[in-house]
Amino acid sequence: MPRLPRAARSAGFRFALLHTLVFVALVAVIGLTAEALVTHALKRQARARIESEAAELFTQYRERGPEHLRKLVSARFAMRENRLHYAILGRDGQVATGDPVLAQASRDEAGPGGSVVHEIGRKPYDTMLAAVRPLSDGSLLVAAIDLDSVEDVEDVVSGAFYVVLAMSLALGLGTGLLLSRTLLNRLDAVTRTAEAINAGDLSRRIARTGSGDDFDRLSATLNLMLDRICALMESVRQVSNDVAHDLRTPLARLRQTLEDARRHSGTMADYDAAVAKAMVEADGLLATFSALLRIAQIEAGARRSAFQAVDLTDTIQTVCEAYAPTIEDGGRPFAVALAPGITVEGDRELLTQLFANLLENAIGHTPAGTGIRVELERSDDGRFGHASVSDAGPGIPTPEREKVFRRFYRLEQSRTTPGNGLGLSMAAAIADLHQTRMSLSDNRPGLRVGLDFRLGG
Amino acid sequence: MKVLVIEDDGEMARFISRGLREQGHVVDQANSGRDGLFHAAGGTYDVLIVDRMLPGLDGLGLVKTLRAAEVQTPVLFLTTMAGIGDRVAGLEAGGDDYLVKPFAFVELLARVHALGRRRPVVQADTVLRAANLEMDLISRKVRRGGREIDLQPREFRLLEYLLRNAGRVVTRTMLLEQVWEFHFDPRTNIVETHISRLRSKVDKGFEPELIETVRGTGYLLRATFA
Repeated sequence: MPRLPRAARSAGFRFALLHTLVFVALVAVIGLTAEALVTHALKRQARARIESEAAELFTQYRERGPEHLRKLVSARFAMRENRLHYAILGRDGQVATGDPVLAQASRDEAGPGGSVVHEIGRKPYDTMLAAVRPLSDGSLLVAAIDLDSVEDVEDVVSGAFYVVLAMSLALGLGTGLLLSRTLLNRLDAVTRTAEAINAGDLSRRIARTGSGDDFDRLSATLNLMLDRICALMESVRQVSNDVAHDLRTPLARLRQTLEDARRHSGTMADYDAAVAKAMVEADGLLATFSALLRIAQIEAGARRSAFQAVDLTDTIQTVCEAYAPTIEDGGRPFAVALAPGITVEGDRELLTQLFANLLENAIGHTPAGTGIRVELERSDDGRFGHASVSDAGPGIPTPEREKVFRRFYRLEQSRTTPGNGLGLSMAAAIADLHQTRMSLSDNRPGLRVGLDFRLGG
Repeated sequence: MKVLVIEDDGEMARFISRGLREQGHVVDQANSGRDGLFHAAGGTYDVLIVDRMLPGLDGLGLVKTLRAAEVQTPVLFLTTMAGIGDRVAGLEAGGDDYLVKPFAFVELLARVHALGRRRPVVQADTVLRAANLEMDLISRKVRRGGREIDLQPREFRLLEYLLRNAGRVVTRTMLLEQVWEFHFDPRTNIVETHISRLRSKVDKGFEPELIETVRGTGYLLRATFA
């Protein structure tokens, strides 16, 4: 099969072609109908005219006799006016008086004593409509009218029809090609971008015309999708880098401890101490791994299907009670103000961990004696539960605030404090699972971690 | 105690069996789900230690089958999955406790002891006692040597758990799970501070000292005194 040009193979062109064919068929139907109607009307007119002509002559014949009729017929024949023809045919069927072309008229189709109107002559041109009346002596009176004009009209109508047909065909195909070329150009932009991305250039995006049409909206959606994919890929890359980097250090320490024990331990007590130290390192690594797994599971979102109504007030209360002695023993003022009976759809175990992580974060990153405050209140319209954990410690500088949610991210000042840099990442993942955004703000002084829980309804 | 360890990882099974035998328990081993089910179905064990991931029949299916056959032997699930929903699934299948690998042996031992003790605990006691300490579960009052001790609700729950497990070591993790429903490991020493507060109320100024620290493991509330 020969290859068609691309524009002709496009969906746009096929639609245009189909459209054109339907249009042409419609034009054909209209043309043929118009022709039939016009021809029919003209023939009826001609028939009425010739019948009345014949009737008038027949009246003359009846009132004034055959001789008078013969004179009239030969006079009218001599005048040859108005496309009309007259003749009297003898009993032998030959033209006795008048126009010889009417010899073809016959009485065959007429009943005895009846008159008849029929077409004579060569088709499709030179046809006539002849009215035949039998006379009492057995001869026939024939009056006929040329149908040239009807044929002319037929020619004009069908001529016009063919012109219109050709024009609509050309117009349809032209529009189709133009339309498909335009669509192809727009689609090509998408295809080219996809090909570039396949080839590895992930930063490519589909150019937009700014017209806001279907294509523009599609391009915008595809671009958003690409952005999202890129962000996810970047975060996966980031996480694997972080994991590799952050687990190297404790693994190296573990190896060092073991090697040291092998080279320098002299007594069982030395070995015992070395093994204990190695176990602490290994436990730390395992804790980091399980925290990473947990974050990954939380982010996967499967837990959401097990959500149920959780008393948030009670959950936070329990966490605060658990931490109160530790916080107070550190000489820290601890204020807890919880509005009663706030319930959210969620996972109690995870929400417990969320607030525990926030409290541990506050305890771990502020000096002893720094106050900590936990609040939960209902918004004025009752649609949100605002929870917050705030401290009066050193806080987090504004440019660092978003970064602390990243796995393993630790502020320079926190490098020496215990922790694996996963506490806030996990808290953020849990908040995210509950469709709650965690926000960090300046508590002047200190850090305020805020959470807006959407309440039921 | 008679313990059945259903575990397909040979190294892990040996580690558990050796440790339990050292503590004077009788240990049998099964290395597949079907084998384990065959042994456990007799109902002659005091505790079953069941790995979640087993060849043939997995741990969940095994325990469901046992429970359907009305074998009520306490089950401790072991798993490498730090999955959040796994614990709930294990308990729903009929497991009694849940331990995530890797674990310290003392943690396993404490839990096996707690489970092994569980069966006769159908006692309908309304008062728990240890030495001259009395806990009334109905009026929620605690007395020691005739003097009433005022406890906060969470402290009451902590003491109650220690009393119910009197004479057995309970680990920090067990306390976190049972008293505060914390199913994760907090970095802060919240258990220690609570115990120390409880001690200052329950033990300070009284003899003998009831709440004992078991180094590297957890706590022990003495049941009997010589």
